[in-house]
Amino acid sequence: MARAARKRALRRTPRRTPPPRRAWWGYPRENGDVGARNWLLILSGTLYANPTCERVARTLRHAIPLTHPLGRCQIAPDLQRTFETLVGHGLNANAAGVIVIDHHREEGCTAEDIAHAIAKSGKRVEALNIREGGGAIEVTAKATRIGMEMLRAITQERRVEVPVRKLLLGLNCGTSDTTSGLSHNKATGWVTDAVVRLGGRAMLAETTEMMGGEGVLAAKCVRPALGKRIWRMVREMEERILACGVDLRGSQPTGDNMEGGLTTIEEKSLGAIQKAGTAPIVDVIPWAKRAGRKSGLHVMDTPGHGGESITGICAGGAQVLIFSTGGGHTINHPLMPTIRVTGNPLSAKLQHDTTDVIVTDVFEGVPIPVAGRRLYDEVIAVASGRLTKAECIHEDNAFAINRAGPSV
Amino acid sequence: MPVIAMVIDKADNVATCLSQVKRGMKVQLMREGRKGRIIQASQDIPYIHKICIKPLRKGQHCLKYGLSIGVASKDIRAGDYIHVHNVESARGRGDLATAKKK
Repeated sequence: MARAARKRALRRTPRRTPPPRRAWWGYPRENGDVGARNWLLILSGTLYANPTCERVARTLRHAIPLTHPLGRCQIAPDLQRTFETLVGHGLNANAAGVIVIDHHREEGCTAEDIAHAIAKSGKRVEALNIREGGGAIEVTAKATRIGMEMLRAITQERRVEVPVRKLLLGLNCGTSDTTSGLSHNKATGWVTDAVVRLGGRAMLAETTEMMGGEGVLAAKCVRPALGKRIWRMVREMEERILACGVDLRGSQPTGDNMEGGLTTIEEKSLGAIQKAGTAPIVDVIPWAKRAGRKSGLHVMDTPGHGGESITGICAGGAQVLIFSTGGGHTINHPLMPTIRVTGNPLSAKLQHDTTDVIVTDVFEGVPIPVAGRRLYDEVIAVASGRLTKAECIHEDNAFAINRAGPSV
Repeated sequence: MPVIAMVIDKADNVATCLSQVKRGMKVQLMREGRKGRIIQASQDIPYIHKICIKPLRKGQHCLKYGLSIGVASKDIRAGDYIHVHNVESARGRGDLATAKKK
């Protein structure tokens, strides 16, 4: 069976594929970044401004709201984390303009502070406060009017051809199973290598899923100090888990991971890090911090929680993300197009509605570079404006801010 | 026609079965697109779960990708189903850390 299938699969594959495209089409920004989307972002500073943000975004075309339950009564390091995440999303090149709305003043995380930090990039940004602005309806009207003017300017911008060097590709996986390390994560690794070879950047995350693979990652680091940082980051994550006094199994690997044949977190990790390909690791950064400009693989310290992890990556500046999934997934970040890929034949069928790229033919003998190239072409297409399936249906479910401490 | 099971590294003592396996079925091992041994499954193995391809003693590391994915919690024979019932993680074990403290 395998031989016949392999022959069939190879016949379908053109013998000579042209070299990967070295350019994509994006929106150039004032600070040199390039956006894959041209959104007007309506950013909520605190949960009590969420409905106003949603009203404004519903009224305007080309506007997306980012709302969350945080920004109040958080311990200082968590509030700082919320602040940095919101600023990071404002700075992300996929946002052409930003309106930040908050409710009362929350020292350390006001709309004004957030807008001020975003304005440094030269981006259009306005801040509004519901109390000072005369209430929820008044501020809805004001923000809508400001947003309309912004959109008139934003929609005059045009995509231009830019090199892959201008791309920061996010990498994440979810509902992993045993097909992950054999197919879609391998294909993702091929894309990582292709992007880095062309001078671009990629970002690996999910610290929990480095447990058991630290040595492999440390060996890829350009400086031994970075390798040490990876070891420390994973140790700290493991210590936090140990402090809870429970067995990690059941939470990591999750129930669906185990159903998918993954026995331990080590097995999950060794599959997950296949996404890194062979590219050198040039930096290791904390959650939601902006990535440096150096070409190569950047590693971000994020939890295994998919939504939180990709929110961190988006704040880090990624314009597009590959979400590599065994079980199939609906995950999609509202601001950062999320390309879902699977190599699991059953999931490709069950989660067809939100699967953008299928690489199941790897199990019929199609080489990884062929599957990788298919995924790479999708990355370039989506970065250049093609909508992902989840974008088409507003599957905007994955903006989630990470927190370490309690509400106070 | 035997079921295909993928072996990743030559040091590995597990392989991933690409279809569901019933007890007594023959499993064809494949590594990097090349055929290897055929082994007989001694237990049922669900879709895309793992089969043991080299016997493991209790306490020995179970290897996949050429690296440890955990420790055998009992003796495992070649052909056995490998999963949470006979291989345990060595990481993030807050339960063991707490037991040690007591």
